[in-house]
Amino acid sequence: MASFHKIIVIVGFISLFHSAFSAAQHRSYLRITSQEFTTLPLDIVVQAVSSLFAVMWGVLNVAGNLREIRAAAELNNIKWETQRNLPSFYIFNHRGRALAYDYIPSAGKAELENLDS
Amino acid sequence: MSVVKLKDNKPEPVAYSDAALRNNAVVVEYCRTSMAALSGSTAGVLGLTGLNGFAFYVFSVVVLWVMFMIKAGPNWHKYYVSRQSLLTSGFFGALFTYVLFWTFIYGMVHVY
Repeated sequence: MASFHKIIVIVGFISLFHSAFSAAQHRSYLRITSQEFTTLPLDIVVQAVSSLFAVMWGVLNVAGNLREIRAAAELNNIKWETQRNLPSFYIFNHRGRALAYDYIPSAGKAELENLDS
Repeated sequence: MSVVKLKDNKPEPVAYSDAALRNNAVVVEYCRTSMAALSGSTAGVLGLTGLNGFAFYVFSVVVLWVMFMIKAGPNWHKYYVSRQSLLTSGFFGALFTYVLFWTFIYGMVHVY
């Protein structure tokens, strides 16, 4: 969806630039034919204003999503499992291991020290 | 009993999330600055002069506000604290950006 609005922004910019170019050409045409400038032709005006609106709408959607400002709104989305999940209290290793049927008691400290020799 | 009734009449205080408020303010500011630059360029292309240009600025500010309202939908209370401040905040700050782009593009298109 965001890419669609980016395309709107790009197309609007090109259209705005094109209308600016048309306006400059109209001015030079008037200068050559030595007429007085009153207003731009209606199609250039319509193109410029509509491309302005298009780019504004695209920028509004590209800028980012609005978040709910109520403090409770985001807390409501947190599930009970998330609340209970405390990394500081993870346990990887505890004495219950010794009750398993294939438990091999670890070697004593003296044997561990002799491992590398 | 009357004390309880008095307490009930008070509106319940609403706690706002600071991070979400700041995020929304950043989005609004971004859109406002872009709107000022773009509408200034458009005013320059159209060759508006004098008060017409400032009227065009007011017009585009109102259009941006309407776009915000359309984007937020009927429950804008969820995203903005007040609609009025959304319309008027940063009005003059963006006006300078507008005048800058207006004069620049006017000079590029109509003078040279």
